[in-house]
Formats: sequence, structure tokens, C-alpha cells
Amino acid sequence: MSGAQPVIVLDKVCKNFGAFRALINVSLSVSKGEKLVVCGPSGSGKSTMIRCINRLEEHDGGHIIVNGHELTKDSRNIDAVRREVGMVFQNFNLFPHLTVIKNLMLAPRLVRHKNKDEARAVAMKYLERVRIPNQADKYPSQLSGGQQQRVAIARALCMNPEIMLFDEPTSALDPEMIAEVLDVMTDLARDGMTMVCVTHEMGFARSVADKIVFMDAGEIVEAATPEAFFTKPQTERARQFLSQILAH
Amino acid sequence: MTLDPQLILDSLPLIAQGLGITLKLLLYSALFGIGLAIITLVMRISGRWYLSWPAQVYIYFFRGTPILVQIFIIYYGLPQFGFIRGSILWPILREPFACCVIALGLNSGAYVSEILRGGVLGVDKGLTEAGKALGLSSPQRFIYITAPIAIRLSLPAYSNEFISTLKATALASTVTLMDVTGVARTLVSQTYAPYEIFIAAAILYLAFAWISYVALAWLEARASRYVKKGN
Amino acid sequence: MADLAAWGDDYLLGTLVVLKVFVVALIMAVIFGLIGAAARLSRNRIVSGLAKIYVVAFRGAPEIIILLIFYFGIAVSLTALVQYFDPATKFVDIPPFWAGSAAIGLIVGAYMTETFRGAFLGVDHGQVESAYALGLSKFQTFFHVRVPQMWRLALPNFGNHMLSIMKDTALISVIGLEEITFVAQMATSVTRQPFTMYMTVALIYLAITTLITFGVAALEKYANRHLRGAR
Repeated sequence: MSGAQPVIVLDKVCKNFGAFRALINVSLSVSKGEKLVVCGPSGSGKSTMIRCINRLEEHDGGHIIVNGHELTKDSRNIDAVRREVGMVFQNFNLFPHLTVIKNLMLAPRLVRHKNKDEARAVAMKYLERVRIPNQADKYPSQLSGGQQQRVAIARALCMNPEIMLFDEPTSALDPEMIAEVLDVMTDLARDGMTMVCVTHEMGFARSVADKIVFMDAGEIVEAATPEAFFTKPQTERARQFLSQILAH
Repeated sequence: MTLDPQLILDSLPLIAQGLGITLKLLLYSALFGIGLAIITLVMRISGRWYLSWPAQVYIYFFRGTPILVQIFIIYYGLPQFGFIRGSILWPILREPFACCVIALGLNSGAYVSEILRGGVLGVDKGLTEAGKALGLSSPQRFIYITAPIAIRLSLPAYSNEFISTLKATALASTVTLMDVTGVARTLVSQTYAPYEIFIAAAILYLAFAWISYVALAWLEARASRYVKKGN
Repeated sequence: MADLAAWGDDYLLGTLVVLKVFVVALIMAVIFGLIGAAARLSRNRIVSGLAKIYVVAFRGAPEIIILLIFYFGIAVSLTALVQYFDPATKFVDIPPFWAGSAAIGLIVGAYMTETFRGAFLGVDHGQVESAYALGLSKFQTFFHVRVPQMWRLALPNFGNHMLSIMKDTALISVIGLEEITFVAQMATSVTRQPFTMYMTVALIYLAITTLITFGVAALEKYANRHLRGAR
């Protein structure tokens, strides 16, 4: 995959919450089809970084360019980026008042102006892909956490995104449900989707990622192939993190 | 001092003559109040000080003063100004019924606005973020995500507020309106049987409060059908 | 303005009356609320049923009807009672101050019943169990575990009830107590400046309710001090 044109570029991105420096000169580039896993201790800025990519957070300094659109205050660019970037959240964030199928149809109808039948057809296609077509008419609260997260992935896919962001997609799940979500994500990776995942699932990282980025205290401390990162981490901080997380 | 149950029963149909005015007051004020509440809510969450400030002053004034005084200010007070007596609104502001609707509506609007705001603030921030991530515009997020959930969250408190408005309509009798309380007061001055007649009036209000309560509880149950009930 | 100044003393005295009614009604409301809550929580179904009726009736009927029942009803009863001993008596007047304070105390007491009950039930049962597990008696558990948390849970509603009492005091003008709304009525008939006079009443109420709001907010801050800066 190396050598393909970058679809996400972060150049010296900074973000402060009051006096707290959440991101300090973060630079990064992701090529088309690349799978990037971001890890690091809690509070290291990994969620903030991924949320800057579709401007759920506004960065204070530096540049972010996604699919050729630079993220600025210009709302047209923000809209363009959000249309091309799908996101999956830790807490699923499914709309509780809509059935599963309506959760999936909402954005295609409102944003892509698809008609009802088109939107439904697309929604069913992706529900089948995440292996729960039979839950289409249930409300999110009637599903298990793993099922809800798979619906959330399907919902993002319905917008036909070129890039998918995952913000700790398995952290809110019971252990027995993590695998079903990771399986769907692995399928997606195999199909060539460009993915940025914040996750602690090191097994997934090892088998799927092209590159691992390790963050601590708002900075990218290390960026390497999974192979290199897991066998010979370059920094003490990464070694410490790995020993803690792999001890479990 | 014995209570005469027969008199209570006998006076019920007489007092019920005032029911029409009471219900009209309630309906008009409640609708007017909801309209005002929505406008005020939008002003408050607009993030623009010149909109949110007047809204906050309005809410502060109407929640901090007695309804009776608000009715008096509008019915007795406004005609103090010549320009109001000369305005095209005068035929409306001269009528006690319209003044009561205005006062009760303004009062209810202030409370309902706060209830709706609580509902909006109660909507999980993650849901609007999910809407953003899907590319929904800010009006779309409000209409399709925030509003339906906020309305459900507001219903229990609204139910209480609706019953408060019902009770407040009784104050219309102080500006000569012949609502349930007005009729009851007239009957008392004729028969001098205050216990029976006022209790009969209270029973009418209680019955109507109960009906409102059941109706709104049904609405709430319908609106909440997607919320998890066990497994 | 000069007209208003001439009535300054009356407004001041009226304000004192309002404050007196407020204090008396508040004390009564707390007492009725505590009794009501204890009755509602009682395992005796008759006792808890009666308390439930009290709550439903006094929260569902308009305040002014209850006030009129108290004022005229008690007067009629007392008259009948006195006439039994002394047939020459024509009419016994009941002081509007006491009729009004008692009526408001009972009304708001019904609301307080639910607030106190909610606060009692709101204390996490696990804490009560752990207190028992540590060997505390029922009595000790109540006073050392429940009460300190109950008042924190009850405070926000309690603040609203205080505001209700304050605003309900305006109703007593209807039965002729010389509080500020009554003063404004008299002043209006002399000066022909109803807006000025009633607006003054509104602003006095606004000042008092603002003070109450700030007072309750300060108490809440104090009550929740152990919840701040958790980490």
C-alpha cells in the first residue's frame, strides 16, 4: 500500500482544552486503503485526534487535509469531509427513537437525498453485511451491545464512505461481544477500506493494521509497523504501555 | 356543620355551566404557552445574547411573580396607558377572557420553555455527534434527533405544568369571568353554602386534572415505546 | 412616581404581611409534609391511602378554591358552632391571615409530602443495608445515614415549594388580607394608576423570590460540597 496518495494528512496539529494541551504538533499521513491503529494510555489524545479528522473537535493549530479538503471554519469543507468519512463511536450513539432500519436510512435520505426504496435497499445490504438483517425493525434498546455496534458500523457504511474512523469501538462491550464486532471490522479491512481505529485490541492491531501509532500526553511517540512495534518498541513509554496492556 | 351531599350533587350541574369557559381558557392558554415556549427556547439556545437575554428576562419575570398579579397587570394595568387604549389591540385587551389567556399563556410559556430546555439538555451529546459524523446539518439534527427525544423527556414535567395551568384558570374568576370557580363563587354568595359548592367545584377540577393526567401518561407511554423495559 | 411614594408605607406593611404568611405557611407545610410522608410510607394501607387522597386532592384542586373553602367554610362552621351556644350571634369572622396561611400550608404540604417521600426512597438501599451490616440500629441508620442525604435530595424541590408558597400569598388578597396585592387594589382606586401599582407588587415578589432562589442555591452548593471535585 505504501506509495499510494495520502487521503488523510495531519500537519503539526495542536488542540488545547483550556490550559490542557490535548494534542501537541501531531503529524500523520494515511494512504488510501491503509489501516492505521492508534493506541496509547487514556488521556493521551488519541480520541481527540480521531475526532479532529471529521471535525467533531476543532483543532487550534496546524492543518488537517482529508480527501483533498482542508478542514477550516468553512462549513462546505466540513460537510464534504463528513460525507466521505464514516465514524463509529465507543457508545454506539444509535438514535434510540428510530428502529434499526430507520437509523440506517436517515442520513442517506437527508444528506444524499435518496428515496425511501433506495435507502432501504442500501440499508438492508449493509445489515446483511454485518449479519443482522433480521433485526431491522427492532429498536436499538432491544439489541445486545455487540449488535448495536454492528448496526452503528452499518449505519456509517450506508453513506458509502471512503474512510472509516473507529473511536474505541469495543471498549463499551462485554468481552463475549468484542469478537463479533472485530470480525466485521476485519472483513471491512479485507475489502480495502481506509481505516483509522483507536483501540486497545492488540490482537486486532497485529493482524489487521498496516501501521501502529502510539500516543502519549498529546504527542505521537512512535509510529511503526505492527511487527516492529510489538517486537522492538523504540521508546520506554511504549514498552511500559505494552507490558501493561499485554499483561492482561 | 353537617355537609349536605345532596347539595353537592345538585350544584354540580350548575357549576358545570362554567366548564366551557374553563376548558376554553385552558386550551387557548396551553396552546399559546407552547408556542411561546418554543420561540423562547430557540432564542435561548441560539447562542446570541440579544436573543437569549430577552428570553431569560421573560422567563425570570413570569416564574418569579404570582399569576394573579400577572393577570391584574394585564387586565387592570395595561389600560393605564393611552396608547394601548388607542391601539388596534384594545378590543382584545379590554376583554377579561383574552387578558386571562394572555396572562396564563405567558406564564405557562415561561415554565414550558424551561421544561423543553431541560429536555434538550437531556439528549445525549453523542447522538448529535453521530448526526454530525453522518453529515446532517444543524437544523436536520435538531428536527430529526434532538427534538423527538427532547419532547419525550419533557412530557412528564409537561403533564404537571398542564395541570398547573388548569388550576390557574380558576384565577379568571377574579376578573369577573364565569368559569367553574366564578360560577361557584356566585352560587355561594346566593346560597351561602360554601362547603358544598366549593367542594363540588373542586371535584370537577380534580376529575378534569385526572383525565389530563391519564391522557398525558398515555401519550408518554406511546412516545417511550422504544425505551428499554427490562429484556 | 409621587403617587407611588405616597403608598410606600402601605406597601412596606403589606410586604411584612406577605413575609409573615410565608413563614407561618412554610412551617405548616413542612409539618404537614413530614406527617404526610410518614403516612405515605406507612405499611398500614388505610393510613397511606388517606395520605394519598390528601396529596391528590390538594395538588389537583385550584389553590383559590381551597382557600375559599377554608375561609368561608370555616367561618360558616364556626358561626354554626357559636350560634349553638349563643343564638344571638350573627356571624363569626375568621381572620384571613390564619385561613390563608393554613390553606397554603396544607396545599404546599401535599407537595412536600411527595418530596420528602421521594427523598427518603432516594437514598440508595445498598447504603442502608451496609449500615445494618455494620450493626447500626434502625434509628441510628435513619439519623446518621438517611437524614444527611435526604435533605440534599429534597432541597431542589423544597426550594420550588418555597417559591410556590411565596407566590400563593398573593391569593390571600382575594379574601381581604391587607397584603401587597390588596394594597395595590386600594391604591389603584385612588390614583388611577393600576399598571404602576401592580407592577410594584410584581417587582416586590420578584425581589423576594430572587432572594429565596439564591438562598436555596447557596444551600444546595453547601449540601453537595462532598460531590464536587470527585476523583
